[in-house]
Amino acid sequence: MKRVWMVGVVWVFALSVWAGEHRYGPYPKLYGQECASCHVVYPPELMTAAGWRQVMQQLGKHYGSDASLDAGPQAEISAFLERQASRRAKHAPTEASARLSRSNWFVHEHGQTPPPKVSFAHCEACHTGAEQMDYSERGLRLPAGYRQRGD
Amino acid sequence: MKFLLMLLWALSTPILANTGVAVQIQARLAAEARAADATFQGFSVQRGEAFYRDRHGDWSCATCHTDHPAKGGRHAVTQKAILPLAPSANPERFTDPKKVEKWFKRNCNDVLNRPCTAREKGDFIAYILTVRP
Repeated sequence: MKRVWMVGVVWVFALSVWAGEHRYGPYPKLYGQECASCHVVYPPELMTAAGWRQVMQQLGKHYGSDASLDAGPQAEISAFLERQASRRAKHAPTEASARLSRSNWFVHEHGQTPPPKVSFAHCEACHTGAEQMDYSERGLRLPAGYRQRGD
Repeated sequence: MKFLLMLLWALSTPILANTGVAVQIQARLAAEARAADATFQGFSVQRGEAFYRDRHGDWSCATCHTDHPAKGGRHAVTQKAILPLAPSANPERFTDPKKVEKWFKRNCNDVLNRPCTAREKGDFIAYILTVRP
């Protein structure tokens, strides 16, 4: 009986991986409070520690907006991001501003150009579950005619 | 009658409590404005509204918070939904002085490319408190 259970668990896990089950979080409240007013919570697992360090050092000029934090939350969030960060090369930043949307992984998944009138920062425009940190393929609604991968 | 009064009380309390903090913030801003300019006469709803609507560069406050701040808006860059700014439509607004300062700092830098003066901030709040849904 125990074995049947084990097989079942492994099967469900394999199925969810196959179905593109991309769920993240939950994350500390502070992270959501300070970093999810202008965009949804971005999963820290999608960029390397070096990338997050670059982002956090430039919060005063955060891709055209001032996103500066007080010293306390700044340190706490930096430590959290670096702890949760990816260790894979495909998640490394490819430019000084460390835009997540320019990493090799992101470009492979999304191409280089967002759909018309959509910003790559607006995940929930296509990933309908993004606000609940659910990026599974099931919740994906692409605009008509938009090719998901490779420009 | 008693029921009506109770209802009125229940409805008005959140709004009163809410504007209470905004009024405290304004009192501090008024002291700062007076210190910066001895001729300061108090905050103005009209000046606040003009400040809210004027483009100070590429953007105005209304760019993201809409022409009618009791409505929800969208972030000009990321398009994320923004809840209404006017406390009459969103009682959470202007209830946390630290949060208010954080967003004045960020948004003034974004829209005006400089910090706002105490008078500008006080005028802005004076206007926002008059906005009805």
